[in-house]
Amino acid sequence: MAREQSWLLDELKRRGISRREFLGFCAKMAAILALPSSAAGAIAKAVATGDKPILVWLEFQDCCGNTESFLRATRPTVAEIILDTFSVNYHETLMAAAGHQAEAALNQTVAGHPGQYIAVIEGSIPTGKNGAYCTIGGKSALQIAREVCGAAAATVAVGTCAAFGGIPAARPNPTGAVAVGDAVPDVKNLINLSACPMNAENITALLVYYLTVKQWPPLDQYRRPLFAYGKFIHDNCERRAHFDAGQYVEMWGDPAHRQGHCLYKMGCKGPATSQNCPVVRWNEATNWPIGCGHPCVGCAEPNFWDTMTPFYRRLPNVPGFGVGSNLDRIGIGAAAVVAAASLAHGIGEIVRHRVGTKPSDSDRPSGDKK
Amino acid sequence: MSATPKIVSPTEAVVAVYVWELPVRLTHWLIVLSIAVLSVTGFYIGDPLIAVSGPARDHFVMGTMRVIHLYAAIVFALALFVRIYWLFVGNQYARWDQYLPVSRERLRNTWEALNFFSYWRRDPLPYPGQTGTAGLAYGVVFLIQFVMVLTGLALYTVYAAPNSLFQAFVFLIPLFRGLQMVHLIHHIGMWLLLVFMILHVYLSVLFSVTERNEIDSMFSGYKEREVTVVRETRDA
Repeated sequence: MAREQSWLLDELKRRGISRREFLGFCAKMAAILALPSSAAGAIAKAVATGDKPILVWLEFQDCCGNTESFLRATRPTVAEIILDTFSVNYHETLMAAAGHQAEAALNQTVAGHPGQYIAVIEGSIPTGKNGAYCTIGGKSALQIAREVCGAAAATVAVGTCAAFGGIPAARPNPTGAVAVGDAVPDVKNLINLSACPMNAENITALLVYYLTVKQWPPLDQYRRPLFAYGKFIHDNCERRAHFDAGQYVEMWGDPAHRQGHCLYKMGCKGPATSQNCPVVRWNEATNWPIGCGHPCVGCAEPNFWDTMTPFYRRLPNVPGFGVGSNLDRIGIGAAAVVAAASLAHGIGEIVRHRVGTKPSDSDRPSGDKK
Repeated sequence: MSATPKIVSPTEAVVAVYVWELPVRLTHWLIVLSIAVLSVTGFYIGDPLIAVSGPARDHFVMGTMRVIHLYAAIVFALALFVRIYWLFVGNQYARWDQYLPVSRERLRNTWEALNFFSYWRRDPLPYPGQTGTAGLAYGVVFLIQFVMVLTGLALYTVYAAPNSLFQAFVFLIPLFRGLQMVHLIHHIGMWLLLVFMILHVYLSVLFSVTERNEIDSMFSGYKEREVTVVRETRDA
């Protein structure tokens, strides 16, 4: 399936994209992957002349947000064309085929190219009620995921739902939703691209890395590529100087907010979240949440809906104390209760004249002495 | 016929018992001091109440608080580990079995202590070391302090360099269900230790009054105990 040298450049020309812009894209990819600028040439060569890997994109319990994120480009970008270098054989939202035709395309890919295609999964997989909460073409999501991911060369879980269960798996998790990695125990080369939604730049960079290096990038303990998730948002944040200085927004629209101070006290989860948002940004690097004055909600982390909430508070709710509970108030309350109880006990001791007087010999039970 | 022992003139005497060995006293006060520093800086880190104005480059309040917190944490962790080591090599009052009501004697002691605290028993407790209840409470406190060290190490992985040895503790984060829960547990632990401290100080003062030199003993190591000395004479 090797391609001719010129197909990509012809395609770029046809779509009105200059070679300069293509090389700019390759340099950008090198930057996202933290490679030196000299790698751009290797990337350009690999992308323009490489084999055409097959991609199937499955959606389960999702909101289509990752697909949307992916399609949000405001003009035809090189990234889009890179995706065209992948033969997308199945994508529920994008494909022209429907019904049995679509299912046939999927089955053909899985049966015809075992161990050769890349499965991209969007959305969590429900395990409750035998998988009845999400069925496509009469098969449960769990069945489809096991069939498709089990025979894939690699599985890319895009978005927090596919990577960690996300919102469907948040308490009380009525559908028994799980992440792809948990649903398919024998999944090979699982790569989690979490975030809600995942940044399109990161899947593009991941696929470019694969085309160039012919292997998958190093991963963190949650199987996320280190090039995108190796640093905490807090560490690359443009407002970090205000954090270290001790300058915090106390209220929406206060002078500190208007001066762009740190959003830590407004519940920013940047210190607990790893992603390259501050560097890559969103909507073609226009801006990102903290850049426009909103705290990070920690969408790229496991259990984010359960542990990153309340979004505008520093700490999660204290278990057993209800929503909106404030740990410091509970702590001060507990300290006050214990101090009052100690005082009362001490007064009790004084009242019984025990304090300061020695018990007489006759009071002393003989059995106590050893 | 054997001679019948006859008790003559029982007298009161004060005996100094060496209870707290040097490592116990030293780690106790290092832990007290480090917890004080850790609580003040930790409280600021959790909820920074000091407001500074002007250019960010002129200030380093949070940065300074965090540096002090980290150094105090090193002192705390080392002191705690020395104390945990001493649970296994220390004297009978410092050993691990004092912190669990495992033996019959410890259970009886716990019962007596509960009777004492509920005003039922009038006498002070004769045991020179911890009472059974205190031992159990300290056992729980050791556990909380150990969790504080673990959660602290998990939080430190965020700031440690990527190739730092401290990254070995990154596996702890998923065990607590993520960094936010680690923060929460670390913060709850602080309050539990502070609440314990109130109770601990009150009871130390109480025992200093009802018995002797309870608080002094954590400096000197010795507890004075009144004993009744019984002299025996035999009829010739």
